[in-house]
Amino acid sequence: MPRILVIVPFALDQAGVARRKEQLRTVKLDAESEFTFRPVKAGPISFMSPHDWTLMDLAIFEAGAEAEKEGFEAVCIDTMSDSGMAALRSVLDIPVVSPGRASMLFALTLGSKFSVLAQWQPALARYKKAIPEYGLERHCASVRSFDTPPDFDALLEGKQEKVFPTMLEVCMSCIERDGADVICLGSTTMHQAASWLAERLPVPLVNPGPLTYKLVESLLALRLTHSRVCYPKPLTPKLPMLHAMLDAARDFEREPQER
Amino acid sequence: MTADANSAPAGERRHKVLVIIPFPMSEAEQAQREQQLAAVRTGADIGFEFRPVRAAPSNYVSEHDSVLADASILDAGRAAEEEGYDAVCIDTMSDSGLAALRSVLRIPVVAPGRASMLVALMLGERFSILMMWDRWRHLYRKTIAELGLERRCASIRAVGVTPDNRSLLAGKEEDVFPLLLAAARRCIEEDGAEVILLGSTTMHQAHPFLAERLPVPVINPGPLSYKLVEAALALGVSQSRAAFPEPLVRKTAMVSRMFDTAAALQER
Repeated sequence: MPRILVIVPFALDQAGVARRKEQLRTVKLDAESEFTFRPVKAGPISFMSPHDWTLMDLAIFEAGAEAEKEGFEAVCIDTMSDSGMAALRSVLDIPVVSPGRASMLFALTLGSKFSVLAQWQPALARYKKAIPEYGLERHCASVRSFDTPPDFDALLEGKQEKVFPTMLEVCMSCIERDGADVICLGSTTMHQAASWLAERLPVPLVNPGPLTYKLVESLLALRLTHSRVCYPKPLTPKLPMLHAMLDAARDFEREPQER
Repeated sequence: MTADANSAPAGERRHKVLVIIPFPMSEAEQAQREQQLAAVRTGADIGFEFRPVRAAPSNYVSEHDSVLADASILDAGRAAEEEGYDAVCIDTMSDSGLAALRSVLRIPVVAPGRASMLVALMLGERFSILMMWDRWRHLYRKTIAELGLERRCASIRAVGVTPDNRSLLAGKEEDVFPLLLAAARRCIEEDGAEVILLGSTTMHQAHPFLAERLPVPVINPGPLSYKLVEAALALGVSQSRAAFPEPLVRKTAMVSRMFDTAAALQER
């Protein structure tokens, strides 16, 4: 029975993790796969600044660094930013999958141009940086936001009636004005809207979280993992230092906040 | 105002620049880094203070290292503005920590990786990067991809010598300098480079030797970053907030706490 670790990129409580875990129900998975969701110990509370990206890389790296020793056979990272993925790949031999680049590449197996549906304006900076890094500008029709501040804990709960139609409208602009023939949801936090949108859109919608679960199953079945030439191991691993740093960060966050 | 502000030219405040060294090191080792200042004339109204990070990866060869490096440089520079600095230089071609510091500071933050490629294209159409060993290749590949400059990079060549990020090239001049020269010549003659970049600030001691012998410009990244920071201050420009947005909530105090812990575990 393959045990798969899913790293949740925010330090959420049980209810928050449960909302993330609902993504499992939207996709048919191998009966043998067992997914364990684990939030990071500490990290940023937003995700719009290089300050946040740096801390999230560190936090996700720490959360998964011992996955192989713990008996997991693969790791999924539940964020479109691919935070921590490269670092985890450098210390793990088991597959590490994250949906950012993967969902765009997957979209291109379904069509020739994709658009990314982003949450709000501040999220655009990251896509603007990531898409050229991936070398995918020519394949990206547009990145459009539906202009609603994200809630990384409650996600879209309670906002369905107002937000879903806006999301649909923006997707239609991507298709009709920008020429997208596939839509990528810009964040795993939008998963609650995925089936509603997919039913109403004339093109495929890629739901990033569930995609990673299927990709990880595929890699395990095909006995494939990342290239060691692309992700070399460190000469001097400092994992005990990394764990101590995040323990310190978690303790710091629990102290009375008078800062 | 700093004490030495009075010695600045009339009517002008003396600028204080923090130079972050990406590895913890002794004063003697730090002096080797500071020698980079001797390679370039900087204004009388600008002073550079070097500060090593509190903990770091042992080298920059893996993504494991890159993540730790980003965070350690963020820690070293996070309070630069409150400490009275007017700008920050990061002494590494990897540009580690650059984006994170730019997102929390308003003062100019400059690192030489991306900057030396852009300056190289002010001097010629194609550049090559000369590096100590092949394990640094990923650092440049990342920056080149981010900038979309693949077609402008003639080659990246290594001399196959393990770098020492503390003692640098001291004592190895006779062995290493000729290797660097030979590799640079191949970049020019075989690959079509019109400008050569030193792949690391730790190679600065080889710069005069190479610059005297090569028929194309050789960019010495550390000193370039000092001049760029001086230019930014003189022109009154800083990084774009649209490209480096501030976090909604700063966790720099948490970062500091993480590095209190890391520093205690850092082996020297």
